[in-house]
Amino acid sequence: MTQADLPLAAAAGSAEARAVNPPRKPRMPGLVENTPVLNILTHVILLTGMIILLFPMYLVFNAATLSLQEVNAQPAHLLPGDQFWNNIQEAWVTRDFGQKFVNSLIVALGVVTGKIFIACITAFGLVFFDHRLRMPIFWMVFITLMLPLEVRIVPTYAVAANALQPFQMIMDWTGISWLIQTVSGIEVALEWNMLNSYTGLIVPLIATATGTFLYRQFFLTIPDELVEAAKMDGAGPLRFLVEILVPLSRTNIAALATIMFVYSWNQYLWPLLIVTDPSYGVVAVELGKLVPDTNSTGGAIPNWHIAMAGTLIVTVPPVIVVIFMQRWFVRGLINTDK
Amino acid sequence: MGTIMKSTFVSVFAVAAALGGAASAQDKITFEYWYGLGGYLGDVVQQTCDRFNESQDTYQITCVGQDGYATAVQNTIAAFRAGKHPTVVQAYDAGTADLMMSGEFYPVQKMMADFDIDIDWDNYFPGISNYYAASNGELFSMPFNSSTPVMYYNVDDFAAAGIEAPQTWEAFEDGLRALKAANPEKCAYGYAPSTWVDLEQFSMAHGIPVASQNNGYDGLDAEYVYNTTQHVKHMEDIKRWLDEGLLEIKTSQGGINSRDAFAQNQCSIYFGSIASHATVHASAVEGLNWDVAMLPIYEGFERTNTVVGGASLWVLSGKTEDEYRGAAEYLKFLATPESEKFWVSNTGYIPVTRAAFEQLTAEGFYDNAPYKGREVAMKSLTFTDPTPLTRGIRLGGFIQARSEWIAEVEAGLSGQKSMQEALDTAAARSNDVLRRFERTYKGKQLP
Amino acid sequence: MSSRGKDMRRAYFKNNWIAALVVAPQLLIIFVFFYWPTSQALYWAFTFEQPWGGGNEWAGFENFRMILTDGRYWDSIRVSIVYAAGATVLSMGMALILAVFADRQLRGYKYYRIGAIWPYAVAAPAVGLAFRFIFNPSAGIMSYVNAAFPGFWDPILNGDHALLMVIIAGAWKQVAYNFIFFLAGLQSIPRSLIEAGAMDGATVLRRMRDIQLPLLAPTFFFVLVINITDSFTDSFGIVDTMTAGGPARATNLMVYKIYVDGFQGLDYSGAAAQSIILMFLVIALTVIQFRYIERKVHYT
Repeated sequence: MTQADLPLAAAAGSAEARAVNPPRKPRMPGLVENTPVLNILTHVILLTGMIILLFPMYLVFNAATLSLQEVNAQPAHLLPGDQFWNNIQEAWVTRDFGQKFVNSLIVALGVVTGKIFIACITAFGLVFFDHRLRMPIFWMVFITLMLPLEVRIVPTYAVAANALQPFQMIMDWTGISWLIQTVSGIEVALEWNMLNSYTGLIVPLIATATGTFLYRQFFLTIPDELVEAAKMDGAGPLRFLVEILVPLSRTNIAALATIMFVYSWNQYLWPLLIVTDPSYGVVAVELGKLVPDTNSTGGAIPNWHIAMAGTLIVTVPPVIVVIFMQRWFVRGLINTDK
Repeated sequence: MGTIMKSTFVSVFAVAAALGGAASAQDKITFEYWYGLGGYLGDVVQQTCDRFNESQDTYQITCVGQDGYATAVQNTIAAFRAGKHPTVVQAYDAGTADLMMSGEFYPVQKMMADFDIDIDWDNYFPGISNYYAASNGELFSMPFNSSTPVMYYNVDDFAAAGIEAPQTWEAFEDGLRALKAANPEKCAYGYAPSTWVDLEQFSMAHGIPVASQNNGYDGLDAEYVYNTTQHVKHMEDIKRWLDEGLLEIKTSQGGINSRDAFAQNQCSIYFGSIASHATVHASAVEGLNWDVAMLPIYEGFERTNTVVGGASLWVLSGKTEDEYRGAAEYLKFLATPESEKFWVSNTGYIPVTRAAFEQLTAEGFYDNAPYKGREVAMKSLTFTDPTPLTRGIRLGGFIQARSEWIAEVEAGLSGQKSMQEALDTAAARSNDVLRRFERTYKGKQLP
Repeated sequence: MSSRGKDMRRAYFKNNWIAALVVAPQLLIIFVFFYWPTSQALYWAFTFEQPWGGGNEWAGFENFRMILTDGRYWDSIRVSIVYAAGATVLSMGMALILAVFADRQLRGYKYYRIGAIWPYAVAAPAVGLAFRFIFNPSAGIMSYVNAAFPGFWDPILNGDHALLMVIIAGAWKQVAYNFIFFLAGLQSIPRSLIEAGAMDGATVLRRMRDIQLPLLAPTFFFVLVINITDSFTDSFGIVDTMTAGGPARATNLMVYKIYVDGFQGLDYSGAAAQSIILMFLVIALTVIQFRYIERKVHYT
């Protein structure tokens, strides 16, 4: 059979196998094949990859175990020192991480949930309905990837200070405000201030071109027959979404959630800008205060050992999430097996 | 989110904002201060705020670190345009021109007078106050963290090479050769291209212009002229020293910056801000015997004063009288000798008033480590009274002009072009930036 | 744009009200937080905007003329393209190899998987510092190479070396990201297909080539588009910590230049005009990818 005839393909999770052939038994250990040379090759490749990927990580850890003099010494110390716990302690004590962890967790969970939800329903609306606006809307969402926040921060702040400003201005321009004021005598002044709030930290980050694109790729691999079958059963679009598509997109969710959790956990510039009240501070900004400022006119002490210790502290939750999400990768796999 | 009327709507959504701030200080007058200094310097700024809050119970200052000068200015602009800006902001030297042209500030000298707070403005070192003053001498912003560059040198290496801290660049070159002769393995001069040291302060110390119109003080139509002054010779010397191995480039992009290379005893000399004095102390390898001296000048030039670097505090427009009163009290608090002493002894910065400097000197502050040597910066800053060419620099888009200079000097150092060509290009391109700035503020004058 | 998806799906739901309802939230958010502010910023491209909001003067296409007649700007475009191509090929190549082999699920698979994803969790400044240790020509890991071959590695003055350094660091950070999506894609390829291949006598490597990689195409396309876009728009952090655009503008990526001119230099109009140019460039590249590469992707 040719490629095109293959019954299905996958965008981070193929549908048919799991849907048409429900899981019958747990995953069996890899295909039983006797390929010792290839197995060794596999390990060699993977181990080499690990060394390349983890060596910089080792340097981060290593820096966190050194003293101020050692971390700036040349040639660089490549073996760990004995300052690890001191540095961790100092990073923890000098910076007020406690409450910030809670805030970051709230924000990250909010952003992840929001992104997955909104990516899923947007892609659903774009793939499973036949309307002329599908591609224009997809592109409208996609273009948001093309201008990073750093470049448009000044006007974006303005909408965070008043999220209803666009509507206000549109009403003013179109004369609706005038009309309302004339008719009812009430002046229209919309205001929704998102500064110093969880809403402000979460909502603007929820829009997701990446997620929408990922879900689109996945939904496109869903065979027509599945849609037809659902319609035949009398399932409406929403039921199809909730009962069939969502369970099928488990690996998608796991991949996206991992990436997006880390993304929002490490968000720096946006919280720095819109939070001036320490009770809404997040860990990434707090960590930033540990990082020596190399641009000021020379005053900053290069205490990279503390900064690296702080980095390790701040990295713990994302790593837990990565490990936790592993289960979902595996479970997705079980369902795929037949 | 439809059309909802002001009265109800605002109150609903105002809750989120109100929950944030004022719980701890309901009856106090609160105002915000955004600062750019990061790392441990930011913590010291925070301590000045705490000290102020403890010193009285009428006002409550909320200090917010914005992690870096550029970010502080940028975020303040964003907030200003949305009407949510702080009362006080720490702005760096290079952001001064835009702030001045905007007019969106409350000149501190006027503010203090308006609130009947008596400050002896003549007490400020002229090399500092001129930098932040209008053409009529009125101070626009409050001098705060101030520094000026000095030469850091390794005393032991100098002794081994049989040299003294050089007063002139000619002696400096001889010194480099002597250092290399004494220890060929060691980096004699750890160099990082820096407009602030190599161009701006170099020109100040030599009394030569960076740009026409007295470095921009007398008009927006200034043009860069540094490609025609002694600066060219200096940069050509640096290139020559690089080629001869007398100098090594040490930038953080290359792994270690010149200051840390010096503190690690890799290089015998480096040029940097006096603010690094505390840092070098904290991070130097054990037993490093070092000192600082004023920048050398070329033979045939009369030494003039250097000027201030660092940042100052601006009070922004559009705030209430109460907030201004609080800001005035805070600035007054910072201007006391006690506060100045707190600041300079916890950082490497220098005092900004004569009174504080004299008091510190009388107390013997500068007699012993770790503060000994910092008085060199004061000497450099006050070497002469500022001339029209040594008041400072007031040029629009100066950040871009600095990066043009760096990029071209790097091209010169790597041999892509001659230093003269590089500086010609940098000046020409920076002039384009000035013309853009002039057009942006068409019809306006520098105050 | 692509009509690919449209051709391939014949079964639709008819209720367009629901379609409107489900796309509305995202559209609302991007309208308020992206299009509205961005359109204001883009307006600045046609004016001389005063940063503190004191007003502006109409400039027409003057800002664009200034930028496009500047030879240095074209250098910046060239550098950005080299960076994007280099970082994308490097990171996708490595991630794909690792994912395909990790997908064999030999012993220790779980640890490989965590090891490959972990680097993504580390904050940017730490990454910057680690790479400084590695690439420092006089004291880092590369100093050993320099000791053996003097002058071999000099990112301080040699622009090509600096660019290579930035590409490697940018790619390193992206490997984990790509790995996650590749692995997720590979794991959802039905075992039945691979088993069928095995029964037909196809070797492991042959199955990778003939079955797994073609089935990975939709994921591959997704990762490709995102990587290219990201390397144009999201790369200033790494440049800022590693090279600050130098030496002699050798790593002055377009987005970094926007960041420096606008964010630090307060030239809002110039930065806005550059943003428009960058946007058009990335949109054009994306359209090309959808036109010519997605055509080769088989979805169902």
